[in-house]
Amino acid sequence: MDRAEKIGLGVAVVGHVVLLGLLSVGFLATPNPAKLQQTPMEVSLVKDVALEATAPQAVTPPAQSRAPDTGEPEDAAPPAAAEPEPAAEPEPAPPEPKPAPPKPQPRPEPKPEPKPAPAKPQPKPKPAPVKPKPEPKPKPEAAEQPAKPTPKPSKPAAKPRAEAKPADRPAPSKPAAKPQAAARPAAKAGRGSDEASKAERPRGSRLGSDFLKGLTSEASTSTSPAPKAAKIDARAMAGIEDAIKRQIQPCADRQATTGMPGANSIVSVLNLRLNQDGSLAATPRMVRQTGVTDENDRYKQRVIDLGIAALKACSPLKLPAEYYSTPTGGWNNINFHWTIR
Amino acid sequence: MNPVFNMDAATLSPVALFLQADVVVKVVMAGLLVASIWTWTLIVAFWRRLGRIRKGMARFERDFWKAEDIDAFYKAEADQDLPSAKVFAAGVKEWRRSTAGGSIDKGGTRERLATAMGAAAAGEIDRISDKLNILATIGSVAPFVGLFGTVWGIMRSFTGIAQAQNSSLAVVAPGIAEALFATAIGLFAAIPAVIAYNRFSHGVNRIEAALGRFADGFHTTLSRQLDSGR
Repeated sequence: MDRAEKIGLGVAVVGHVVLLGLLSVGFLATPNPAKLQQTPMEVSLVKDVALEATAPQAVTPPAQSRAPDTGEPEDAAPPAAAEPEPAAEPEPAPPEPKPAPPKPQPRPEPKPEPKPAPAKPQPKPKPAPVKPKPEPKPKPEAAEQPAKPTPKPSKPAAKPRAEAKPADRPAPSKPAAKPQAAARPAAKAGRGSDEASKAERPRGSRLGSDFLKGLTSEASTSTSPAPKAAKIDARAMAGIEDAIKRQIQPCADRQATTGMPGANSIVSVLNLRLNQDGSLAATPRMVRQTGVTDENDRYKQRVIDLGIAALKACSPLKLPAEYYSTPTGGWNNINFHWTIR
Repeated sequence: MNPVFNMDAATLSPVALFLQADVVVKVVMAGLLVASIWTWTLIVAFWRRLGRIRKGMARFERDFWKAEDIDAFYKAEADQDLPSAKVFAAGVKEWRRSTAGGSIDKGGTRERLATAMGAAAAGEIDRISDKLNILATIGSVAPFVGLFGTVWGIMRSFTGIAQAQNSSLAVVAPGIAEALFATAIGLFAAIPAVIAYNRFSHGVNRIEAALGRFADGFHTTLSRQLDSGR
C-alpha cells in the first residue's frame, strides 16, 4: 500500500463516516416519516346469516310404510323444541273432521277455532256417529275429559285411516295448516303417541301388495312447514344501524364539526334504548370508543355529545317494527357506531 | 432536520437498519461497507497517481526533447519515479551495454533496445494498473452480494409473518426495509467502482499509448545515433 493508497483510504473512511453520520441524523429522511399505524376497522363476524326460523326444521323422513304401521300417525318432533309439535300436528288435524263430515262437522268446527283449549274434544266428533246428543255438554268442559276417547274403541276404523293418509301426503294440507298453527295448542301434541290411541288401531293390513309403489326409502325432500318467525342476526342488525345512521345524517350534517382535527377517526359505540315508536327511551350511553389518539384525545367527549345531540334531534327513528324485539335481540337495545363526518 | 441521532427504522438511519438486521444480512452489509471503503480508497489513490504520472510524463518528455546531452539528462532525471523515466533508463542502459564492446551489431542493438524499452514500458503499465481489477470485481459482484442479503432478509421477513400470524404492513415493512438496505449498500459500492474502473482503465490505456510513443521516439533517436557512426 503506497502513499497514494493511504491517502485514499483516509479520504474514503472519512467520507463514509460523514455520510453515515448525515444519514443517521436524518439528512435524507422524509421530513415527517409516516407512522406505520393500523387504522381501526370495524369487523362484524356474522355467524348466522339472514332471517331464520326460530323453530328448528324437524325434517323427519316420512314414515316408511310397513303394513302394521300404516295406521300410525306421524309422531310429533322430538320434545326438545316446544313449537315443532304444533307445527307437525296441524297437518293431520284439518282432515280429521272430513271422515265424519255428515254428522259432527257443524258443531266441532266453530268451537276449536275460537277456543284453543277445547282442541281436546276433537276425539269426540268420532263418537258422534253413535250418540250425537251428549256432545254439547262435554265440549265446554273439554279440559277435564281427556280420558274420554278410550271408551270408544269400537268405531275408530275411519279415524286412523284418515290420519294415515295425511301422513303420506302432507303437502296439500300445508297451506291450510299455517294460519292455524299459532292457534293450535301444544296440548294436542301427545295424541299421536298416546298408548290408548295406538291400541285402538287395527293391526291387520288392509293394504294391497303394491302399497309401496312410488315410495322410496330415501328421506323426503319436503321441507318442514314450520312457521317462520322474525329472528334478528348480525346482518339485520347492521342494516338497522345503517338505517339509524341514514336517518340522523340530516341532523349530523347541521352540526359544526370543523376545527376538530382527527376527530373523524373516533368511533364511539353508543348504546341506544328505544321505544317501540322509535323515540329514545333514555339518553344514549357511550359503551366504548376506538380511534382515539393523542391528537384527537380532547375531542372524544365532544364527539359523543354531538352523536347524542344528532340522535335526539332526529328521533323518533323509523325502523322495521318486526325487529323491535326478537328472541335474539332487536333495536329496542342496540349498539350504534357513531362517527362525525 | 433535527440533530437527534435517529434510531427509528422509519427514517433512513443506516445504523438502525444495520442493528435490526439478521446476522447474515449484517455480514453482507459489513462486507459491502468494506468494499465501498476500498473502492473509494482505490478511486482516490488512482486519481492522484494517474494525474501525477500524466503530468510528470508530459514534463519529462518536454524536458527530454529539449535536452542537448542525453548522458547529462540521464544523470539528472533518470532516477524519477515515472514510467517514461524508467523506459528512458532502460533504453540508455541497453544502449551502453550494447555499445560497450568494440564491434557493434546495429540490427541486434536496435532489436535489443526495442525489447528492453518495451519490457520496461509493459512493467510500468502493469505496476500502474495493479488493483484496477479490484474495482472491476467490486463493480460486478457487489450488487449480487447485496441482492443475496436482500433475499435472505426478505425470507426472514416472511418467516416473521408466518410466526406472527399477521401480514400487516407494520410487521413486514421493517424487515423488508433492512433487507433492501443490503442491496442499497451493494449498489452504493458497485456504481462508483464501475464508473471508476472504466475511467481509470481508459487513463491507463492513454498512459500506455503515451509511453509507447515516447519509447518509439527514443528508439528512433538512438537508432539514428547508431547509424551516424559513433
